[in-house]
Amino acid sequence: MKVGLFIPCYINQLYPQVGIATLELLEKLGVEVDYPMGQTCCGQPLGNSGYEQDSKGICQLFVENFKAYDYIVGPSGSCVYHVKKHFDILEQTDDVKRVRKNIYELCQFIHDVLGRTDVGASFPHKVGIHKSCHGLRGLRLGSCSERMDAHYSTEEDLLNNVKGLELKTLNRPDECCGFGGTFSVFEEAISVKMGKDRIQDHIDSDVEVITGADHSCLMHLEGLVNRNKQPLKVMHIAEILNSSI
Amino acid sequence: MAHADEAAIFNKDEAKVNWHDKALWFVRQKRDKSAHNVQGWETLRDLASAIKANVLSNLDDYLIQFEENAKKNGVTVHWAADAEEHNKIVHSILQKTNVKKVVKSKSMLTEECHLNPYLEANGIEVVDTDLGERIVQLAEEPPSHIVLPAIHKTKEEVDVLFQEHLGTKPSNGDPQYLTNEARKHLRDKFLKADAAITGVNFAVAETGGFVVCTNEGNADMGAHLAKVHIACMGMEKLIPQEKHLGVFLRLLARSATGQPITTYSSHFNKPAKGTEMHIVIVDNGRTEQLSREDFRASLHCIRCGACMNTCPIYRRSGGHSYKATIPGPIGSILSPGKDLTKHSSLPFASTLCGSCSDVCPVKINIHEQLYKWRQIITKDVPQPVVKKTTLKMAGRVLASSKMYGIAGKSARFMLKHMPKFIIYSKLNAWGKARDLPEVKNSNFDEWYKNRQKK
Amino acid sequence: MSRESILKAVKQNKPTSLPLPEIDLNVFAEDKDLVKTFIGNVEFVGGRAVELDDIKNLDIEIKKLYPNASKIVSCTKASGLGSISISESTDPHGLEAIDLAIIHGELAVAENGAVWIAENDVTLRVLPFITNDLVLIVNKKDIHLHMHSAFEAISKRDRTFGVFISGPSKTADIEQCLVIGAQGAVSLTVIIL
Repeated sequence: MKVGLFIPCYINQLYPQVGIATLELLEKLGVEVDYPMGQTCCGQPLGNSGYEQDSKGICQLFVENFKAYDYIVGPSGSCVYHVKKHFDILEQTDDVKRVRKNIYELCQFIHDVLGRTDVGASFPHKVGIHKSCHGLRGLRLGSCSERMDAHYSTEEDLLNNVKGLELKTLNRPDECCGFGGTFSVFEEAISVKMGKDRIQDHIDSDVEVITGADHSCLMHLEGLVNRNKQPLKVMHIAEILNSSI
Repeated sequence: MAHADEAAIFNKDEAKVNWHDKALWFVRQKRDKSAHNVQGWETLRDLASAIKANVLSNLDDYLIQFEENAKKNGVTVHWAADAEEHNKIVHSILQKTNVKKVVKSKSMLTEECHLNPYLEANGIEVVDTDLGERIVQLAEEPPSHIVLPAIHKTKEEVDVLFQEHLGTKPSNGDPQYLTNEARKHLRDKFLKADAAITGVNFAVAETGGFVVCTNEGNADMGAHLAKVHIACMGMEKLIPQEKHLGVFLRLLARSATGQPITTYSSHFNKPAKGTEMHIVIVDNGRTEQLSREDFRASLHCIRCGACMNTCPIYRRSGGHSYKATIPGPIGSILSPGKDLTKHSSLPFASTLCGSCSDVCPVKINIHEQLYKWRQIITKDVPQPVVKKTTLKMAGRVLASSKMYGIAGKSARFMLKHMPKFIIYSKLNAWGKARDLPEVKNSNFDEWYKNRQKK
Repeated sequence: MSRESILKAVKQNKPTSLPLPEIDLNVFAEDKDLVKTFIGNVEFVGGRAVELDDIKNLDIEIKKLYPNASKIVSCTKASGLGSISISESTDPHGLEAIDLAIIHGELAVAENGAVWIAENDVTLRVLPFITNDLVLIVNKKDIHLHMHSAFEAISKRDRTFGVFISGPSKTADIEQCLVIGAQGAVSLTVIIL
């Protein structure tokens, strides 16, 4: 099995520790991982802003970078969802189809493809999950509160098997944090208010560490936590799953 | 003004935002509880969606069938191409029957057509009889929610409004007292009305009948007391057969308020003896929306308002921030079809979280349509220069590994070394209330390269 | 009139025909105590439900529940409490002062506490709305599990006017505070025989 590691642009530039944790975790689990140099972005910032047509070059480059792998794994539900959902703007060659089919969000890959829920991690803290929307309602990493299906959650399954970790239940289990890409700057007031409300829910639920499978949401939440000097830590789920005492 | 500006104004009063958010979230929770009680809820949604898709794909046939059956029932059927024709038709019916006083139950269609000002300009009194609608009518405001029209008003504001218009005593906003006073006031209007106008929740092609749903009983009080009943319906309200009501009536109220069904689901087929019944079928942009493959599913909408209650943006910006007859997520995919330029900010008033699509009882892919409208708007409506150039440039930089490498490095360099006052300047909307991430010494690329060398 | 132009535009703009789905009632089949579920839902929607063993006690029960009602319209032979008689030619506006209406419903729905009333059951359509208080009577055997079953049961009726009533009239339009008694009846009692 040849896995191509997809590190989204903002993680590459701003959160290298998330990329490192992802790579180390996959290797720990016995996966042969290759990181294709020259990867840039999935094109989502453009697509979501209405400039999908200007992102074709980006999407094409993505396909070129990853077409040779059996699986493509990235620590961001949102970017993975974009490839799956919106690469329909490209001509659907075999390469494009394969890339769209074989791309997985990290937790999903561990849970569904590797069939693992216990990754041997240890993290003795009270944790709250931020279930990012594109992972939840796009990739269906778990059941969402709107639908009346049976409850399941990929992230919960993984975190419940982390030693010492205490998973907290939120009052609103899957409300959006208000990041939304360029929404965060063009609808600044609402974006900030949504983020503040999400954080308050975690604080009210006795959470010490907010985690999630999408670091863009976490970047937004962390920005607010730091500005308001709130007693919370924000970590990507890969960092927790890669932790040991 | 763009939605973002309106929303920013609404957010100046955080306590009010919190109240608005919690009140609507409470409705969403009631909806969840109610839907959980229904075995096969998701199947119901699938059915409703498929029935509506069938309706749209045979709409002309169903319309003809409906008209034929309604006529057999003794109902007069009218057709209006647009809002103006709709208003003219309603007015001419009222003129012919010499009507001066009209009571009207909730109808988003008549809001869309601006019927009230039209009739008032022609010397006819129109009284909205749904309590929430009456409140906003007295306040001379549009409804801010399609099911809860006065959700933006505090009880104290209603108190003052009723003192002024209904002569009530100050009550500190006692809802029981205010509702009782409204009941008396509206009873008088019902008894004196010459005609009643109602909306239509569902029209059944097979029988020529239609169903009107209310909790207050106001549609029936109007329709059964007046000599003339005019029911105004958007053409997409049709369903094929009466048995399909079983599907829709199970979904509607549960999605809207969490009730298992509205208090009254009234099935009108024939006029009562000595009375007239009219149906006005309205297009007003619907056939055009039908032609748009990506957006026609928006015509599935049964106006339950669930997408508003669940929308984290709607809850925190209020219905008036959308500046459209139908606010919230569904309004944001309907309105651009009517006036793209005027409503061009609405599809961007979303994080594309998708909650609206999953809550929708007829499974409209609302968030996907928002995404699609965005692609059209950036092409057809002039965009802010900064946004446009930045994104177009990003498109070129990110399509090239080399350019990206340089840009990434310089952006990180700037973030790390630029003085804080420049980074957190007025131009940086991110930094107004949020810190930027702390920049590490290397990016992942560099780290990986070093690791490979070892 | 724009009839032709609208129909023409629809024909032009509609997608290729999509099938009408079959409703598989097995999905919604539940083994539930219909009377108990119905009573629970009547109470949930703000109504009162009374189970009565003997129809002979109907009037005693109603009098106990509405001791002050004097202007009463009874639309059922089961109750002799009617003090005002109405016919098709009665001016509906005259019903404004009615205290209580007693009506026999044709069927009821367990899943939502609704009772189906057709025009024949009320003589004047406005009666169940304009009356101050409302008593609906239903037979146990006429309680259906869900709306699909209810619509099947009324499919053969003479269609003029009919209504599902679930609870008393209500509103939450002032700050989301639930107030029972909006424009229709201010209370509803369902008597189950």
